[in-house]
Amino acid sequence: MSDSERSSIDDIIDVYKRDVDVSLIVENLKRSVDERLEALMQMQVFVEELRRAKQAAGG
Amino acid sequence: MTDFKALLRILSDAGVEFIVVGGVAAAVHGSARATFDLDVVYRRTPEGIERLVLALLPYHPYLRGAPPGLPFRWDAATVRRGLNFTLTTDIGDLDLLGEITGGGAYEALAPSTTIIRAFDIECRLLNLDRLIEVKRAAGRPKDFEVVAELETIREQQRQRPARP
Repeated sequence: MSDSERSSIDDIIDVYKRDVDVSLIVENLKRSVDERLEALMQMQVFVEELRRAKQAAGG
Repeated sequence: MTDFKALLRILSDAGVEFIVVGGVAAAVHGSARATFDLDVVYRRTPEGIERLVLALLPYHPYLRGAPPGLPFRWDAATVRRGLNFTLTTDIGDLDLLGEITGGGAYEALAPSTTIIRAFDIECRLLNLDRLIEVKRAAGRPKDFEVVAELETIREQQRQRPARP
């Protein structure tokens, strides 16, 4: 994309890119599709557990 | 928790034509972001709608976030007269999309898909370039965060050989 085609949205996306954890992506790209989806479901379990813990603590 | 494997299996076994989009598609492409629902663009043929309705009926679809007890009926007439449905089911949250912003309907998106095997289930996945385009078109700040990650994935893929 040439500079003349860029919009302010591209600049915003570039700002967000500074916070992207490239090492996580590199690790994910080494995984199979099944492994990526399993990891996603494990993440859900983890977040659900945190939510339950927060509720149990009266949060 | 959304059982992505079960939802994909149910839709696939029923012969529903669909394209995986959204957060699960991003995860398959390598995203590390959490997502809690499965987003699919479904093909809105009369037969496809019948198959979709029958496939999900045993899992009690209901409008996600709506108060309980509304006279919602999961049937072909409801799907025909609607387009996009954000549902909760017994096996998790499912967004059924007749169209997506910047991407259109199933037929428009299909050429930009790849057939993948996930958990031994064959399904169509929106390719990375098109996923980036539709996320940009959605235009919400949270979508731009996703685009930043997806573009980084694309850059990484170009630097690395494809996984066999």
